[in-house]
Amino acid sequence: MKQQLIGTGNIAGVGATITRRAALAAAAAFALTTPAFAQEWPTGPVHVYVGFPAGSSPDLLARIITEPLAEKLGQPVVVENKPGAGGVIGVQQMLAAADDGHSFGTTINGPLTTAGRMMPDLGYDVATDIQPVALIATSPLVLAVSGTSEVADLASFIDLAKAEPGALAYGSVGQGSGAHLTAELFNNAAGIEMLHVPFTAYAEVTTSIIGGEIDAGFMAPSAALPHVAGGKMKMLGVTSAEPFAQIPDVPVIAGNAGLPADFKAELWNAFIAPAGTDPAIVERLNTEVNAILSDAEVQKKLLDMGWQAAGGSAEDLAARITEDTEMWGAVIDKVGAAQ
Amino acid sequence: MTAWEGLAHGFGVALQADVLIYCLLGVTLGTFIGVLPGIGAMAAISLLLPITFYISPEAALVMLAGVYYGAQYGGAVASILLRLPGTPQSAVTTLDGYPMARQGRAGVALFVSMVSSFAGSMLGIVVLVVLAGWLSQVATAFRAADYAAMMVLGLVAASTIGSDRPAKAFAMVTLGLILGCVGTDVNSGAQRFTFGQSELMDGINLVALAMGLFGVAEVIGNIRNAERHAAPERVTFRQMMPTRDDLRRMPGATLRGTGLGSFFGALPGTGSTLSSFLSYALERRIARHPERFGNGAVEGVAGPEAANNAAAITAFVPTLTLGIPGDPIMALMLGALVIHGIQPGPEMLTARPDMFWGLVVSFGIGNLLLLILNLPLIGIWVSMLRIPFRFLYPAILIFVCLGVYSVRGSAFDIATVAVVGVVGYLLALARFSPALLLLGFVLGPLIETNLRRAMLISRGDPMVFLERPIACGFVIASAALILLSIWRRRIAADSH
Repeated sequence: MKQQLIGTGNIAGVGATITRRAALAAAAAFALTTPAFAQEWPTGPVHVYVGFPAGSSPDLLARIITEPLAEKLGQPVVVENKPGAGGVIGVQQMLAAADDGHSFGTTINGPLTTAGRMMPDLGYDVATDIQPVALIATSPLVLAVSGTSEVADLASFIDLAKAEPGALAYGSVGQGSGAHLTAELFNNAAGIEMLHVPFTAYAEVTTSIIGGEIDAGFMAPSAALPHVAGGKMKMLGVTSAEPFAQIPDVPVIAGNAGLPADFKAELWNAFIAPAGTDPAIVERLNTEVNAILSDAEVQKKLLDMGWQAAGGSAEDLAARITEDTEMWGAVIDKVGAAQ
Repeated sequence: MTAWEGLAHGFGVALQADVLIYCLLGVTLGTFIGVLPGIGAMAAISLLLPITFYISPEAALVMLAGVYYGAQYGGAVASILLRLPGTPQSAVTTLDGYPMARQGRAGVALFVSMVSSFAGSMLGIVVLVVLAGWLSQVATAFRAADYAAMMVLGLVAASTIGSDRPAKAFAMVTLGLILGCVGTDVNSGAQRFTFGQSELMDGINLVALAMGLFGVAEVIGNIRNAERHAAPERVTFRQMMPTRDDLRRMPGATLRGTGLGSFFGALPGTGSTLSSFLSYALERRIARHPERFGNGAVEGVAGPEAANNAAAITAFVPTLTLGIPGDPIMALMLGALVIHGIQPGPEMLTARPDMFWGLVVSFGIGNLLLLILNLPLIGIWVSMLRIPFRFLYPAILIFVCLGVYSVRGSAFDIATVAVVGVVGYLLALARFSPALLLLGFVLGPLIETNLRRAMLISRGDPMVFLERPIACGFVIASAALILLSIWRRRIAADSH
């Protein structure tokens, strides 16, 4: 994307030019203590592939990371938006780019966990083609109902659903989306049955809930939050293990209203590299991403968008991928959403 | 805050020097990206997004909105001059705008399109201010069944435009509907006609299809048939002026187009493409001599252009009053606000009235700037026709490729344009209307998704289409239209 390249290159480049001198000084200091690669890498602009369009939530999240990353690496970091197929195209394009240690990606969990089950041919094998770098942030979903709904809390919602199985309808952002699979996980855990109505965006789900066409939906907190203040929506519970900082008053679903205490469903966003990337580069990127995530201002920016800064080692991310692939795989098997 | 206080407040915001400059920047850029085939508001806004990090949120929103509605002005230029719609919304403008240009009336066609665009936008702003509350209620009252029935009416009403043979028109709409099936099935997640290509999972790219059918097909056609257009040597102000007959026909078409555009623009997800097609269909249906359409009827330019510009303004209704973006470009603009820590939502009108009213006033200022900017440009645009084909057409192909690539950075889409271009040329040879294919392609997925969603929610009961008053009204209107055209055909056949 030519314009994209120029446009986004500039923004990351602004930081890079201001602090070029500082970065050079830092690099010189590094040279004394670290192996040879630190002096050589990165030798040119770093490309970060994002499988969603500019301005979308995954894109804005990527930019929160790439802007300080450009300063830390002393090279421009260019966000390459390659939207399509729920983020899968972004990963494919990262892998197709020349593997010279300058092409990376940030992606939501889907392309690394559930996409392999939903699509006939992914074009890559997560286990052998992807090198995890670091978990960037996690986000729970909230169970939202209309503000005029008679349901007051999670327990009364489940009672209502049990009173007439299949009578309640919930919206999601698509077959196999986090919103769909989370709702099915919830159905299973709560022992209820709800009708799935797939939409393509939270905006449509919101209209449908507010207009009374459907009854509920698992939504990103920041998609539901604006409608809660005006009384158009109510949030009954959150799918994280702990209360979520953006919406501290919303109770966790786990252990509430007879649901198992280990009920947990989180979406996440991660920094990845093509398999075969120099381990020293992976290590350096992991360090930088973790440093960026420990900045209070970055954490606040992420939280405003509904993301909780995460971090951790590359191995932690690898474990998370395996764990979630298994967990969601079981849900997909149950609902028969796979190909 | 009353509307008058709000407007006064809005002038305070919109007349700030920096906001004004960004407004001018936005509409100018919007005009140019509208003129360039394929490069749409989406690409331009995502390109500008990084800049918005560094300016005030008011200026950012005003600038991005300027690109959005400015593109509607520019979109008509290439449609009229080269039969190459700058944006999918202006595809229908090719039907009569291009014949006008061929008759040496390109200047008049551009003038009509600019003035109608301006009038449509200005009236759209009035609708936005006066009816925003009502329109937002309508938007939430619409359910899947209503949308499905409304789209069917749109399809029935517009399915005969641009073609005098019903069978050919039917074939093109059907082909469009079939092409619209490509991609992921929303309900089951199954892949339809994607042949294992992940690029096809989200369907065929609309811009690639439009550019191939119109732009590339036209270029191929002119290689074979490279006679020069009837281009005037120099466009004087007099040549731009519509005749008295044109002036008599314009106001009605513009007003009707504005009405349609204002209504459809405010419904999330339907937007300006549908309203410009419907406006054209309406004009042709109520015309005393419908055979003038397709041969340079002024109403065929004035109506659709007023409609798509009015729709671009009222498209802000769900975004500003409900906090629900009506299309992906709106979602992108809301993203720009989120960067500034402003949470767009139903509370924005009361919590940030400066934002809302500043934007509304900037629409007025922006459209005035667009008119002032565009009228003098008409002469320059028309002189483009004097560029020899051997320079003009390769340049068009390059712009088409750039434009299509700018949508999502996909080389696959460029290949799509090439294939569609050849198919489009063959269709043009056989005198099939590409506009109808595009209509089927745009409406098909919307009808299908909403129809199936309505049936899903009603648990398989088709009565939902008759029980809901809105849906029922559209179903009756569609049936009436079909009966009416059969009856008219009978009468025509009898009189022969």
